Amino acid sequence: MTYKPGVCNFCGTGCGHNLRVENGSITGVFASPGHPVGKGRLCVRGWHIHELLGTKERILHPLVRRNGHFEKVPLSEALDLVADRLGGFAGSEAAFWASPRASNEDIYSLVKLARSVLGSNNISLLSDDGHREAVDVLGGSCGIPAMPGSLADIAKADFLLVAGADITRQNPIVGSDLHLAALQGADLVTIGARRTQIAELSRTHIQNKPGTIALVLAAMAKTLIEDGRAAREFADNRNSGFEAFAESLRGLNMPDIERLTGLSSDDIRGVALRLAGAKRAMAFFSSGISGLDRDTIAVLHNLFLLSGHAGREGCGINPITGICNIVGGYDMGAVHDLWPGYAPVGDAAAAERLKTVWEKAPTTTAGFEVNALLADPEKKLKALVVMDHDEDTGRFAERIRSLDFVVYTGAYANPFLESAHVVLPAASYVETDGTFTNTERRIQLSRAKAEAPPDALPAWRIFSEIAARRKQDWGFRSPENVMREIAKVVPAYSGVTYAKLEKDFGIQWQGAGAGTPAFAPISGAFQVPETSEEYPFLLLTGEANHFWHRNTIMRRTQIPMREYNALLLLYPNGFVEIAEEDAKRLGLRERTPVSLTSAEGALTSFTRISKALKPGAAYVPYFLHETIARLLPSAWGSSSRGEDAAVPIRIEKV
Amino acid sequence: MNILEKKKVPEFMAALAADYDLYGPIVHPDSKDVLFDRAADPGDIALQAPIPYNPAKIPFFPQRESILGYTYDRSTGDVRIAPADLVRPKALVGIRSCDLTGLLCLDRFFLGQEFVDDVFRDHRRKTFIVANTCVRPFPQCFCVCTDSGPSAREGFDINLTEAGDVYLVEAGSEKGEALVRKLELPAADEAQTALKDKIVDGSIALFDEVSRENKAWISRATNRLTTGFIRNEVWEYIGKQCFECGACAFTCPSCSCFNIEDLNGPDGTTDRCRTWDSCSFEGYTKMAGDHNPRRPVEDRRNKRFFCKLSYSQSRKYLRPGCVGCGRCVRVCPGDIGLPTVVTAIRREITE
Repeated sequence: MTYKPGVCNFCGTGCGHNLRVENGSITGVFASPGHPVGKGRLCVRGWHIHELLGTKERILHPLVRRNGHFEKVPLSEALDLVADRLGGFAGSEAAFWASPRASNEDIYSLVKLARSVLGSNNISLLSDDGHREAVDVLGGSCGIPAMPGSLADIAKADFLLVAGADITRQNPIVGSDLHLAALQGADLVTIGARRTQIAELSRTHIQNKPGTIALVLAAMAKTLIEDGRAAREFADNRNSGFEAFAESLRGLNMPDIERLTGLSSDDIRGVALRLAGAKRAMAFFSSGISGLDRDTIAVLHNLFLLSGHAGREGCGINPITGICNIVGGYDMGAVHDLWPGYAPVGDAAAAERLKTVWEKAPTTTAGFEVNALLADPEKKLKALVVMDHDEDTGRFAERIRSLDFVVYTGAYANPFLESAHVVLPAASYVETDGTFTNTERRIQLSRAKAEAPPDALPAWRIFSEIAARRKQDWGFRSPENVMREIAKVVPAYSGVTYAKLEKDFGIQWQGAGAGTPAFAPISGAFQVPETSEEYPFLLLTGEANHFWHRNTIMRRTQIPMREYNALLLLYPNGFVEIAEEDAKRLGLRERTPVSLTSAEGALTSFTRISKALKPGAAYVPYFLHETIARLLPSAWGSSSRGEDAAVPIRIEKV
Repeated sequence: MNILEKKKVPEFMAALAADYDLYGPIVHPDSKDVLFDRAADPGDIALQAPIPYNPAKIPFFPQRESILGYTYDRSTGDVRIAPADLVRPKALVGIRSCDLTGLLCLDRFFLGQEFVDDVFRDHRRKTFIVANTCVRPFPQCFCVCTDSGPSAREGFDINLTEAGDVYLVEAGSEKGEALVRKLELPAADEAQTALKDKIVDGSIALFDEVSRENKAWISRATNRLTTGFIRNEVWEYIGKQCFECGACAFTCPSCSCFNIEDLNGPDGTTDRCRTWDSCSFEGYTKMAGDHNPRRPVEDRRNKRFFCKLSYSQSRKYLRPGCVGCGRCVRVCPGDIGLPTVVTAIRREITE
């Protein structure tokens, strides 16, 4: 058989597929009907993964920059150089950027290299903004620092809420599950400033003014409390945090809410009552790059707890990850202040556990998010290790170029190469065994299906080779060895082996659980972006179908790339979508050149008239990264409010 | 008609394997997925396996296929075309009649028009086809609605029909007859010959009970599609459920849309590649100057159903483009597989 079963590694859904391998090349893909997540479905990206995996644009040789130019060097020489140079920096001077597209084994090895060998807690997943918010809210109030439910529960729920996410674009197969459940009679409700496809497919779409999702959810909660519909067990429990939450809603009044959200209180109340009346209710929002901010997630959780839909089977609020192994990346501790298994850095029990397994105490010096280090010129950052990325250097390009030593390791070329001093070719995910943990915590094993180029090692081996050169023999001889160690270090992975994973399409790890869930603390500020005469529009950003994140990998496909090109053929500067009414009022037609001005910047773009927006809202797709970076420099990155972010702008004909 | 005893199937496979690469339904040992694929060992082909999840067009029209290689020297302007003879002889063993009917549609698309596709022709010329009658249908099947099963009537070299301990063997070509002679398959007696029709009738009779997933009253839908009497709201209802993944086209035995791209390798060689394409993609119909005759998704969706069911298109295929395999229903994230659409069209008629 030329088809080999595996797991798609684009988004966090983790659908099963069969990759076609002929003469060592990946030549096709077909959905796997037996797989419990995809159940025989794939999205447009998944149907074209073989185009990416078949690309010849690979990094094939170790490269070292000498006199401004890359020279090919033998692998051992490059590894020696990296080990030697990295050893020359203090832990606090080095930072490590792990990839949420890498396997658990690869990420874990980088985490171990940073924390055990080089004494640094400066480690982050690139593109993790947003997921951390969900980890904290859910970990703190439910005891499970990830999606508590299962995707299979969607078919059994009778109330489904999608908050903000353009889910049929971001995680299409999760979107499909929601749509199919709605066809079977589930009450599907969406909240968001854009009328997305899932909004079209829902029974009710709450089209709020941009940036007010938290306020809409708070209004629903307030309605339930005032109507006496709050689940008694929480209202009566003094430790649950109910009182504090109820108190923070007290200051809200319906006329203000109606004005700020642009919705009627009757509509909000109607949906709240439908939620309260549901037996099984689930909410979905996207995590990763463009998730909801912490307050919104907390209010969403509290609303579901209040209505009796948290901490119960088939209920709860679910962050849906945008990249295949964001959950695994967090599980492995690729986070500056969390050790493997979500233990805070410095936690005594975890330190003991790590010391036993690593045979060396982990450094307890506080680390920083890599983004934060790069953003702050005062921080003494000198070296950066970057693993296989789907992103580019973005707004930190200049800072990265100025560092003393930058290592890039990956399968495909990436803009990081321009700043790298050493480049180490890595095996792609189909050239080595590895596990990936999807949005529902399903640890899935992906077996090697093709040979890696001769100089490309799997990333876990690259990092253990570097460790060996720093006098630490980890004893990793295979990815399975690495998993054996992960199982000792990450409590939720205890007992996980490749043999078990191979049966039955993986294992969903179970959190320790915290008994009765509690209300999450919220700031109670409910700040919403307001327009002014100077900036009368609120600008939203979001994702699209054929383009994925910043497209550095989708560019290597053929059909999705054709779609991207077809869309942008006439929009070399990108586009901004506005409502028809606004276009008429401003005298704008399709593809009229316009300038967009925010308090922080300006750029020229072209209009597209969209039925998905209400007057006063404007939309720029996320993949037009340059567009957004120029317009919203400060809102870009970890501080952004993600999907619900809305920036006041002005649109003028030029 | 001749008889192939089941215990002689390995011999039959071995005879084919001597001259051809074998393709057929294979059950993956771990995932249990049934896929139509090349068999490393003739024994891997499972004639009794359920209908494969992927279409049997893949050996002729793969998802991605090199159709030409060349090198271009920028300095001298020299172009060297690498002679490519990539097509190997193959035998498709156990192809179901829906898939075989799809292949006949592809023949009329790639070979039956003004331009003949050389690569596809090469594939077809080097092919031996062993069809397999569906003695019982599967839950998603509706080939009886599209006149493409459960037993093939044309296009095969050999057609097998399971009958107890034996397969009834019909040769459909000289190549097929030669194989029957070579294996010295005994002739069927009168009772066995009469059995074939009984088996097929028995299979058809099972559709009501077994094939409950889909029904498609094709003729009425063909009428409405051809005369254009379908309200736009129906297309909008269908279109808004389209996730634009392309799966319906990729899994369809008769879908033939493709794209060609020249992929430049880092070593100066170029690989001219044919890939599957889909009419659900916006870029598929986009023209220069941003003109797109089918811009909204519902417009692209209805193009697909015109292609499968309208009379004008059926004239090109000499039959409806839909072959009743039911695969598009299962791969569709939006629940707009062809039978669902036919149902939506019928609902409109009855309202």
